[in-house]
Amino acid sequence: MSLHRMSLRRFGLSILLAAMTAATTLVSLPAAAHGERATEPYIRTRTVHWYDVTWSSEKIGVNDKVTVEGKFHLFTDWPDAASKPELAFLSNASPGAVMTRVESYINDMPAQQSVRQLEIGRDYPFKMVMAGRVPGRWHLHPVLNVHGAGPIVGPGHWVEVTGSAADYKLPVTTMTGEVIDDLQHYGVARVQWWQAGYALLAVAWIVWWIRRPLIVPRWNAIRKGREDLLITRTDDRVAAGLLVLVLVVVIGGYRYTTQKYEYVVPLQAGSFKTKPLPQVPSLVAVEMKDATYDVPGRSLRLDVEITNQSESPMRLGEFTTANLRFLDKSLDVAVAGVDPSFPKDLVAGSSLKLSDSSPIAPGEKRTLRIEATDAAWEIERLVSFLTNVDSRVGGMLFFFDAKGQRHMAEVFGPIVPVFTQLQLAQSH
Amino acid sequence: MTENDRAILKVSELSSRAIPWSRTLDVLIIVVAAFLVWSVSHISFLLLGGDWDFFIDWKDRQYWILIIPITTIIMAASFQAIFWNLFRLPVGATASLLLLLLGTWIVRYHSWQGLAYFPLSLVVPGTCLMGALVLDAILVLSRSWLVTGMFGAVLYGLLFYPANWIYMAGYFQPVMNMGDMTSVADLIGYTFPRAGTPEYIRIIERGTLRTFGDTPTWVSAFFSAFVCIFLYYMFWGLGVLACNARFFPVGERFKLIYGNKGKAAGKAVGAAAAQPGAAS
Repeated sequence: MSLHRMSLRRFGLSILLAAMTAATTLVSLPAAAHGERATEPYIRTRTVHWYDVTWSSEKIGVNDKVTVEGKFHLFTDWPDAASKPELAFLSNASPGAVMTRVESYINDMPAQQSVRQLEIGRDYPFKMVMAGRVPGRWHLHPVLNVHGAGPIVGPGHWVEVTGSAADYKLPVTTMTGEVIDDLQHYGVARVQWWQAGYALLAVAWIVWWIRRPLIVPRWNAIRKGREDLLITRTDDRVAAGLLVLVLVVVIGGYRYTTQKYEYVVPLQAGSFKTKPLPQVPSLVAVEMKDATYDVPGRSLRLDVEITNQSESPMRLGEFTTANLRFLDKSLDVAVAGVDPSFPKDLVAGSSLKLSDSSPIAPGEKRTLRIEATDAAWEIERLVSFLTNVDSRVGGMLFFFDAKGQRHMAEVFGPIVPVFTQLQLAQSH
Repeated sequence: MTENDRAILKVSELSSRAIPWSRTLDVLIIVVAAFLVWSVSHISFLLLGGDWDFFIDWKDRQYWILIIPITTIIMAASFQAIFWNLFRLPVGATASLLLLLLGTWIVRYHSWQGLAYFPLSLVVPGTCLMGALVLDAILVLSRSWLVTGMFGAVLYGLLFYPANWIYMAGYFQPVMNMGDMTSVADLIGYTFPRAGTPEYIRIIERGTLRTFGDTPTWVSAFFSAFVCIFLYYMFWGLGVLACNARFFPVGERFKLIYGNKGKAAGKAVGAAAAQPGAAS
């Protein structure tokens, strides 16, 4: 290879590298999603189960509000690898601060701080009021951050914010009577002016030194023992003046500020405790006998023993886990339970398949095979539960009695993968 | 050019041909050194103390005051040692903090506001720039790294809180939110959500240090100043190590042009620079 060709190649590579650098630094774009499928399946299937989640609107203007509310159930078979919900914070996932949080509640208690000692096996209602800030189409989820387990993301729905970001305003009046026109700009100019003043002093100081013969002459002067030339009496006076000026500015500024802001409070951080929803006696007992996941068929198969302990016949209408909903579409009350605002991509296209879909009579014990089949297992990146350390699966079963009333039951247990195609190939 | 400048050039024995090129070299080295100081200071701060200064509702009265000075003084001291030992230029600390502040604001505008839509009120940074100026000024007046560490580093740690409180006090006014009293800073943090930053990680204040004026602020500031002394000495030493002239381009032709004739010259500078406080 000639030298000329090598140079051309190097030149080309340099241009490519420069273009890549420019593309990643100058033309970088904000991400629309936020990794809601990245959390490990054992956390998504066996910790917080979100249900009855609704969004009040799909389209809001800047400054308009959207309410996300619903309930979450803390799963009994909470994985050992994730910390228990001793300390948690209700938040939302969206790509940056495109929407602002106006209010948030857990069981009607204000949730601007963290909540402690949530009870496993119990249910909590939540509510978040968000306001549009940046126009765009944003994915809005509720999130429960659990200390030691990380963010556990609820179902996400696209909300479109229309209008102009310049119209967003958040006026606030402090308890001392100061009116803040807009919280998103408050104090920024003051910080910038002061820091610009500090920076001006710093620039003046640096210029004072670098305006004179610099690198090599000074290095040589030191080598030749003439450092007395490098810092003069004038330099001493300037340094002393700078020292005094800095101290006067800082001490004077501090005294003035403390007098101006007579009442200040430290950052408020802490936790509160709230009760769960009243415990409803379980009218359906569920015990998992066997669970398999058909890898090529993308089908979860559960063999469960169900005992109807109520006085009304029951039908299984829904299996939900990791925000995915599998419905028995032959049961109208189950289908009607899906709020129109619920994201369509989280409702399986195919119906929940049951070995026997007839009502379970009062007192009857029946073993059912439940098949939840959908590509969503792959799309939602849930099949990696096969590689978890404890290979377990969990979810919620929703039963409906003759009056259409819903009864919930947990289902959980070990799961075994079935590599059907592989087994077939081996048999041949 | 002043009389003193001419004297320096005369002592340095630069050839007449090299004098204008020396100034060109100054400019080139300033540009390169600025990027070096900028990147090292910024990366060091991001690794060691970044989180504590990202958000207005993280600027607490115990750890923010403690951590920011002690994580920034290490680079300030290192660069101060390098510039002082090699060139008797007392600008290392100031340059480090000035460029860190510049870089911080660029990132706040580009990434925090531009890409993640956070308002600037949520991400205004603090700065130790005033402490850095004091550090450099005391080095000039004392000509001693020992004295600078003893007095300059203390002032560096102590000045951080009052110098920043001047423009940040307004964020700590009380305000009502959902029936609870909170600070404006808390309200900003609550209003503009960060999915990966739950509120409970802000529960950090432990115990009572309310000896002075019913607040632990000054206790933290004094402790920060105390730790700054030791970190200053440690990282001044690291800066001195970096001054070793063995790594400079001291070929025969370079020495000839720039007035450093003879192999012994380079070694002499290296040995002198390796002595902490050689000019003390």
